[in-house]
Amino acid sequence: MKEDQVYKDRREKINELRAKNEKMTSRERALKAINFEEADRVTIDNWMVPEIKKRCMEYWGCENEEELLAFLGVDVRDNYGPSYVGQEFKKFDDGTVADLWGVRRRQVVYGKGTSHEGIFKEVAWSPLEHMTTVEEIEAYEGWPSPEWWDYSKMKEECEYWHPEYFVLNKGDRLDRTAQLKPMMYLRGIQQTFVDLAQNPKIVECIRDHIVNYFVEYNPKVFEAADGEVDMFMMGDDVGGQRGPLLSPDMWRRYFKDGFRTYCDIAHKYGLKVMYHTCGDVYALIPEFIDCGLDMLQSLQPQATNMDIKRLKQEFGKDLSFQGGMDIQQILPLGTPDDVRAMVKYAADNAKSGGGYFFGTAHNIQADTDMQNVVALFEAYNEYGVY
Amino acid sequence: METLQALADFVEQGKAEEAKKLTQKLLGQNVSPNDIVQKGLIAGLDQLGEKFEKFEAFVPELITAGMAAQATLAVLRPKMTAGSLHKVHGTVVIGTVEGDIHDVGKNIVAMMLEGGGFKVIDLGVDVPAEKFIKEVKYQEAEILALSALYSPTRLAMKDTLKMLVDEGIRDNIKVMIGGAPIDQAFCDMIKADGYAPDAPQALKLAESLVAGSSKE
Repeated sequence: MKEDQVYKDRREKINELRAKNEKMTSRERALKAINFEEADRVTIDNWMVPEIKKRCMEYWGCENEEELLAFLGVDVRDNYGPSYVGQEFKKFDDGTVADLWGVRRRQVVYGKGTSHEGIFKEVAWSPLEHMTTVEEIEAYEGWPSPEWWDYSKMKEECEYWHPEYFVLNKGDRLDRTAQLKPMMYLRGIQQTFVDLAQNPKIVECIRDHIVNYFVEYNPKVFEAADGEVDMFMMGDDVGGQRGPLLSPDMWRRYFKDGFRTYCDIAHKYGLKVMYHTCGDVYALIPEFIDCGLDMLQSLQPQATNMDIKRLKQEFGKDLSFQGGMDIQQILPLGTPDDVRAMVKYAADNAKSGGGYFFGTAHNIQADTDMQNVVALFEAYNEYGVY
Repeated sequence: METLQALADFVEQGKAEEAKKLTQKLLGQNVSPNDIVQKGLIAGLDQLGEKFEKFEAFVPELITAGMAAQATLAVLRPKMTAGSLHKVHGTVVIGTVEGDIHDVGKNIVAMMLEGGGFKVIDLGVDVPAEKFIKEVKYQEAEILALSALYSPTRLAMKDTLKMLVDEGIRDNIKVMIGGAPIDQAFCDMIKADGYAPDAPQALKLAESLVAGSSKE
């Protein structure tokens, strides 16, 4: 940590709040929360794009990400899973790179030359998009294997964070345990929607390949972790800004069994399950609960039906939550007072009885001013106390 | 007419082949292309739009209905002589803004607008402001429709609007915007002419924007 006075002054408020409020380790705090017990303060989780992490480290005088998270009071530490040792990801002349599934991506720069400039890796080619039969899809040679991973460092990498921090196994963002998302990467988003409406056998074929992969992969991950993972996270976007992306009937038909299976596997290893989905999934929440989901993540507040007060009132007995901090309007366009009010609203309505982690609905984006990020983390530490 | 209602139902249900066949039959019965568009395509899209508003229809249904509408238009187009289709409403230039490559929502809007009787020029994704400006001038478009999925990329809409002002053509065109991070407050902030939260409402917005415009 840099010890110049300017950084010390910036760090003072969070340091004071934490010294006053904290009475246990991050791991103890988060375990209480997921078991519906009140701790000393609300557990803090953190999702940020790399551009924002860099700005935060510069602002608060932190030398690296580990120092930043430790200073901010972030309780969760992300474990991205085993190391990849499969065949090299092929690079192409057009600048695209293949991933585990054979999907090709390129880097897209946005906001070039502005203060919010950033980079996203975007899908450029979907290998199954133009196939028309189940036979073609079955014959695809790019289906991945759980053998392409070296699981041997899982335990030590998770253990590194214990006993202080809460370890969340979440996989790499592009390879998170899911069903619909890999299907969309492989088949293209638009064609997947057409398949859902008109090509059930194709949906089932692709889905089965995906589920069979994760059903083999995750037990290997959990066994290798040998008790050093505290929670499992899967992520599969099924919500839109208005309503779910697909009808509840369609979700039940194609994805409920796989969702339940993923939860069952984690539970078998003693792990509770967090599930990320963007958007309005209100109509699907009873289904998630029925499948044994423990924690719903994102709670995108600008989407319809995702008000955190309502979610806690209606589902808070059976489901815990992470999220509710708005990255579409308040964080990028609001004032620091707006940010503080947003955190206070979530705390007032969701922290009672545990079962809640603070978090942004998705990564804090590069268009967010530093004053709002400061307001967010100061407010977490101020309003989260029990 | 009963069979126009059947066409509307086929479009609503995303049954492209049935919609095409019925359209050919209707043309053979001397039903006017304009009636087919109004009481078949637009009616079918409206029916679906109402269900979407009530959370009874979802994205797969919007996409397949849009595709059925496009399939019907493909049959109709060669039959249009005087009073061709795009003059029913107007011309829309549409695209996803620079730095953003997401297009599913934009594609659904484009399909709905075309099914609803607009001529649609789709510039695709990652479209710089200059390209939008060039195309709206060339097409003498009534509407420019901009889409973005991310909060950082929606800021490119502001740049595009500024360029319209700088080029002296802002008053000649209506700008409508949409996408997940777009709301009325953002629309007002960048001084766009309208915002729609979804494709069915985008069609209604486009209709009202051209109705309010003095161009015909």
